Amino acid sequence: MATIAKPEAPRAPPTYAEITRDISATLGNPSRGYYILLGGVLLVLACGVGALLYQVRVGMGVAGYTPPVMWGVYITTFVFWVGIAHCGTLISAILYLFRSAWRTAVYRTAEAMTVFAVMTAGLFPLIHVGRIWYAYWLIPYPNQRQLWVNFKSPLLWDVFAVTTYLIVSTTFLIVGLIPDVASVRDVATGWRKKLYRITALGWRGTDQQWRHYLRGYLYLAAFATPLVLSVHSVVSWDFAMSIVPGWHTTIFAPYFVAGAIYSGLAMVITLLVPLRKVFRVERYITVEHFDNLAKLILLTGLIVGYAYLIEFFMAWYSGNAFERASFWNRAFGDYWWASWTMLICNGFLPYLLFFPKIRRNIPALFLLSLFINLGMWFERFVIIVVSLSFEYEPFAMGHYTPSWVEWTILAGSFAWFFMWFLLFAKNFPTVSITEVKEIIPMPRKGKAHT
Amino acid sequence: MRAPPSGLLAAYRHVDAAVHAIRSLKEMGYRDFTVYSPAPNYEIAEAVGHRVSPVRLWTLFGGLAGCAAGFAMTLWMSYDYPIIVGGKPLGSVIPYVVIAFELTILIGALSTICGMIFHVWRSHRTAHYDPRSTDDHIGIFVPCPIERRPAVEQLLRTSGAEEVRVEI
Amino acid sequence: MPDGLDRRRFLKVLGVGGAGTAALAGCSSDQVEKLIPYLIPPTDQIPGLATYYASTCRECPAGCGTHVRVREGRAVKIEGNPGHPVNQGRLCARGQAALQGLYNPDRVRSPMARDGDGQLSPIAWDEAIDRLTERLGQVSGGALWFVTGNESGSFARLVSDWMSGLRSTQHVVFEPFGYEALRQANRDVFGIDAIPQYDFAAAHTVMSFGTDFLETWLSPVEHARGFSEGHAFHDGRMGRYVHVEPRMSMTAMSADEWIAPVPGTEALLALAMAHVIVRDGLAVAPRDIRRLSGLLDAHAPDSVAQRTGVAVGTIDRIAGEFAAESSVAVAGGMGGQHAEAHATAVAVNLLNYVAGNIGRTISFGRALNATGGSTYGAARRLADAMRAGEVEVLLVHGANPAYATPPGLGFEQAMGNVGLKVSFSRFLDETAMQADLILPDHDPLEQWNDYEPRASVYSLMQPVMRPVFDTRQTGDVLLQIAQRLGGRVGSRFTVETYRDYLQQQWQALQRRLGDRRPFDMFWSEVLQQGGVSDDGGAERQVRLAPTVGATRDVPTWSPADGQLTLIAYPSSALYDGRGANRPWLQELPDPVTTITWSTWVEIHPETAAELGIAEGDHVEVTSPVGSVTVPAYVYAGLRRDVVAMPLGQGHTAFGRYAEGRGANPLTLLSSEPTAFGGLAHYTSVTLRKTGQHERLPKTEGSKRQMGRGIAQAATLEELTHPGESHEEHAAHAAPVPQHIEDVLHEWQEAQYRETERGNYALPYTGTVDGERPRWAMAIDLSKCTGCGACVTACHAENNIPTVGPDLVRRGREMSWLRIERYFEGGRGDEPLEARFLPMMCQHCGNAPCEPVCPVFAAYHTADGLNAQVYNRCVGTRYCSNNCPYKVRYFNWFDFQEEADAAFAFPDPLHWQLNPDVTVRSKGVMEKCTFCVQRIRDAQNQAKLSGTTIGDGDLMTACQQTCPADAIVFGDVKNPDAQVRGLAEDDRGYHVLEDLNVRPAVTYLKKVRNAAEA
Repeated sequence: MATIAKPEAPRAPPTYAEITRDISATLGNPSRGYYILLGGVLLVLACGVGALLYQVRVGMGVAGYTPPVMWGVYITTFVFWVGIAHCGTLISAILYLFRSAWRTAVYRTAEAMTVFAVMTAGLFPLIHVGRIWYAYWLIPYPNQRQLWVNFKSPLLWDVFAVTTYLIVSTTFLIVGLIPDVASVRDVATGWRKKLYRITALGWRGTDQQWRHYLRGYLYLAAFATPLVLSVHSVVSWDFAMSIVPGWHTTIFAPYFVAGAIYSGLAMVITLLVPLRKVFRVERYITVEHFDNLAKLILLTGLIVGYAYLIEFFMAWYSGNAFERASFWNRAFGDYWWASWTMLICNGFLPYLLFFPKIRRNIPALFLLSLFINLGMWFERFVIIVVSLSFEYEPFAMGHYTPSWVEWTILAGSFAWFFMWFLLFAKNFPTVSITEVKEIIPMPRKGKAHT
Repeated sequence: MRAPPSGLLAAYRHVDAAVHAIRSLKEMGYRDFTVYSPAPNYEIAEAVGHRVSPVRLWTLFGGLAGCAAGFAMTLWMSYDYPIIVGGKPLGSVIPYVVIAFELTILIGALSTICGMIFHVWRSHRTAHYDPRSTDDHIGIFVPCPIERRPAVEQLLRTSGAEEVRVEI
Repeated sequence: MPDGLDRRRFLKVLGVGGAGTAALAGCSSDQVEKLIPYLIPPTDQIPGLATYYASTCRECPAGCGTHVRVREGRAVKIEGNPGHPVNQGRLCARGQAALQGLYNPDRVRSPMARDGDGQLSPIAWDEAIDRLTERLGQVSGGALWFVTGNESGSFARLVSDWMSGLRSTQHVVFEPFGYEALRQANRDVFGIDAIPQYDFAAAHTVMSFGTDFLETWLSPVEHARGFSEGHAFHDGRMGRYVHVEPRMSMTAMSADEWIAPVPGTEALLALAMAHVIVRDGLAVAPRDIRRLSGLLDAHAPDSVAQRTGVAVGTIDRIAGEFAAESSVAVAGGMGGQHAEAHATAVAVNLLNYVAGNIGRTISFGRALNATGGSTYGAARRLADAMRAGEVEVLLVHGANPAYATPPGLGFEQAMGNVGLKVSFSRFLDETAMQADLILPDHDPLEQWNDYEPRASVYSLMQPVMRPVFDTRQTGDVLLQIAQRLGGRVGSRFTVETYRDYLQQQWQALQRRLGDRRPFDMFWSEVLQQGGVSDDGGAERQVRLAPTVGATRDVPTWSPADGQLTLIAYPSSALYDGRGANRPWLQELPDPVTTITWSTWVEIHPETAAELGIAEGDHVEVTSPVGSVTVPAYVYAGLRRDVVAMPLGQGHTAFGRYAEGRGANPLTLLSSEPTAFGGLAHYTSVTLRKTGQHERLPKTEGSKRQMGRGIAQAATLEELTHPGESHEEHAAHAAPVPQHIEDVLHEWQEAQYRETERGNYALPYTGTVDGERPRWAMAIDLSKCTGCGACVTACHAENNIPTVGPDLVRRGREMSWLRIERYFEGGRGDEPLEARFLPMMCQHCGNAPCEPVCPVFAAYHTADGLNAQVYNRCVGTRYCSNNCPYKVRYFNWFDFQEEADAAFAFPDPLHWQLNPDVTVRSKGVMEKCTFCVQRIRDAQNQAKLSGTTIGDGDLMTACQQTCPADAIVFGDVKNPDAQVRGLAEDDRGYHVLEDLNVRPAVTYLKKVRNAAEA
């Protein structure tokens, strides 16, 4: 099986020059296909923006909200995108600390994904509030009314966590880019050369620069690691800190973090598979990488599956009538279809990855990653909507169905994400030049030397 | 920016050669040369022999400042605008830990960046530069007056420089 | 003459119609833009302070006394008049909504007449009156007909004077709910053509035979108060109430036992009970009941058990209960008026008679004026006359026969044969749409008038504000016509205005009452009191009429073979349909089904299953005379062979809120008057599923409370024999150990002290316990009848928008206070039980909604209120998610923005808004405030007068209007406060207590007086 499984194994590692050449080749002069794609994405984005403006003008009522379900598709999507973001930081920061070599080829893509995913997620709390024009009131800024904000509210924690996450992951991405941009600068021509000359911030790779750079990068990674864990924990506390049956549970933080990384890894695969084809970087992003990603998916998938089981178990074991009712409703109530989509996509399909055949079969992985993305969106939908629709007060129970406005804005959010990713992929190296070089030993004169 | 001093710029293909050159330069008593490499390299760093970068201090103090700021802000604001909610104490430290934690990371990370920029700027030496050294060459620039050039050039060539240029 | 001068000066002081309100430019629609000039302030209008005027509610014939709250010259709220003998300060939902009759955007804004192409177009008053006068000059007396609603007192007298002045005797009183069966029975049994007053307070045992005495029947507010007094649990005692009807109405939901006999056989049951009472000599009855022996013998329990479907044992038992203590049996509700309802009423009269209730709990001395002698038969006579072309001029005032009679009668078409049709209606209702000339009357709140709800109760109406539109009081119009006509009719009236006519009447009344004071003094007093009464008048002796007992066979009604029985029952909110143009009433959930804004047909689950009908399926209901298509509501509170529909919807005119909503069940009813001259509300129907389906605009989520103990109940035995097990709730399944309870309690107390510091107190220098009040509420579920008056009162007090059916379907109703209706039992052979629970913000001491708000929009005030700052709210809706009671309401649209589709206050409806309460804008959360504006007002008044707020000085809107007196509000820290006592009552509990949120609202368990089996 090894023989068929590792076709690219025997090939010699690329030289530094090849690396620079191949990866710089992915930049500049996009094809017609690229522009068509970008155009389509912008069109969808425009629809999303239109829907949002309509909602702001007429009122939240145009969304499908049906009390008691006061949070719906928007918060679901917010959690979804924040989750996506997480695996980027995992690969770029946590694996960096673990010194795992295979990350170098894929971490740039993952990290870019992180930044854009957070940029997308950050929009949704705004989209969902009733008075978006006052959303800035959540920021503790000095004001003539002498009002401050309520730091006891998990929403405030969100504000801080997500903002911090956006800033830190963005700087992390930029810092990582500097040496690459420098090397691209030295081969690029025309206006791009100017662009890179500026964005390289005068990088030349001197001994002193590397000295401070490496330290700084190390500590950024060291910070990003607890950050990534904290952010989704805080998001999960939006729910866990409430008293809603189905939300109010201590398992949420680890459960959400695992789920986040799980969904993020799936999204990375969804992005990498086409990317390596289009950019012809199969040589750098190999089946080995996918195999490793798949293993991570399997790990986090197992954690998520376990969390599902424990949730249902605790609902029964707690003896709490409301919890029991809530989870019974989850599995067999109005929204059974959502729950079972979630369970099948996240709870069963991923375990196919136990088979190396599937782990190393890229089309299969791609398909699987799509299922996981779907499943994870539904996980949030189930947790948020289904729990709310079946709460304490039987007389006040209701059934929520999203409206076209919500679907349009959801589609718009994907367009927004892919717009940024497309722009990035054509203008900055999506595979880290420097770090790929880093793991390939520099040529030596001869063995004689020590 | 003032013009870089005149000197010799050598380009190496092989890391061991470059490392050898660096060592012998130091033996000759040279300190102010600059080494360019396309990727960070342990051997080179060791040969040049810098002490650990002081950036970590920025990280430490940034982090501490952030943490303190977090607690200070939340507690002060709670008492400056004392609103009772859910029958909880005005200053509830436990939930404020979250804010403090996030600010620790935010300010810590930002100050790390500042530290990096600051120290890179301080240790900056104007020197001649060969673009190939971000691709696959290791460059060494040794600023030296005309009278000492032959010796240095000799050294660089023997250590296996692919090319040695005189830069005025 | 000095007398006159005095009177005018004095009227000015009251600011009624004359100088006072007239000075306020603010209150007429054409001058809305003008500010009110207070350089010379009108005597009784101080900006920012409310003035109250006593008046009388004319939304139904009950005639409750009201106090109208007027701010800056505009009526903003209607409240019960505590001094009024009928309602004693309480008011029902319809009474609250009278304000929307005054400010209804679809009122006729000026006189109108048909122009060339048959369209109604405005004309001037003089011209309009001239046209009518001219025509009246020519018409011969017999051809002039005048239809009025149930008027008693001066206006009725004016009309008859006026008519006889024109040599016409054709004055038809049309009141759709004519209670003909009941009146016929009273004539037959007692020889009295009157409806007595029923004293529910004095009755320990109440038996209702298909009579919704808590909803529409006769005087619901009075009944509700009396019923809760006589029936509700207090000091270990309570009354017993048995309801006999094939359908469980809202009224029946308050019953301790619901007996569903074969429809149409109630008479047999009543007679069987009488039989048992006489047989076993359970009561001391008048001697003349011997005449009944033949009739009663023919109705022994075992002989009727079969036909009524009620077991012999049951009959014996309830008969025993009925005779055991003071009791009253009622019959003759419109919901029970089938073709043989007269027999039912007769039987029930006899039952009351043999039980000796006549004169004890039933008083013919205080006879009610519920119908003004109206009969459906009279309406039919008019229709025939019109068809025969005998009517030249038809005047219609305060009645809408074109809507409220079965289409089979063809009233609308018949009007076509009338030469001149004149309507005095305030709205373009179905009858007015047919009119050639419309002379809009004032709203009752704009006019001078009086009304006699019952014998020897005289109730006044006075203009509380300047008329909203260019309308004119019909009394004045009639007098002007009389003057213009002169001659016979002209000479009859010595006065120029109706106000003077009224005062003439009252001068006569004053003499009758033997009041020797100058009239002005008397007049000012009665105006302030809202009327006068000399209740406790001589009780009249009642004996059986000679004919009674002659016949022994009692007719019963039954549907055509194999068909279902349809009951067309009065809607508790819309009454006979006159409430349908009031958005508040349209949006008031039906107490039984919680459906708003529409008509439905109630079907028993098993019947529905047989026909494959699910809730919301459109069903075609077909009777011998017609058919309508309405959505189905599956309801277990019916016999299997019965379906039911509410009256009141299906208007083809009557303004934007009423027109084209639901269906009118009258379409299904035969237009043939019954033997007793009434309209039969029962008919036999068949159902057919059409295939369409809709999501019903109802407010209920789950019908059952899943054993969560939301609405708790106990039986009388459980309470009187402590130690016996109470209802078990899943919520309490896992008991918390005591030591944990203690820890929780301590911690909780500490938390609560924190809130005592108040909002702007500096840290650690706050006030200590007890210095501030803790506002709290107690709701006695054994009193609550679920009528929904509190809901409408809350709408009125707090400027709550109505949202319309589509948003109700989405669960987006804004009502801060909702009546939750849960069903218990009903499975297998256990009896179906319904429970009501008014649910509003519980103002938790440890409110879960507060800490989750990121901007402190939800916070806790020092006096224990859970406050919501609309201006600060950003609209994250987290508070609502975290509210276990789901009592927070979000502004999905801009209900206050004129440009917005959801605009709830079209001109002049926005005049109803309470100036003390913010109108909320799009995107903010809102909820019950415990009427904080009233609290702050009371606190300010107390501060100004240097006193403190006494218990009961301060009432929330819901408490104030509750006819059953179920709601009590006050400072729970005050040891003497009533609410404190109730909060510590054994029956007291908090909803979802286990959550430890410390609600300020204490509910007192409903108590059921179960039958001793």
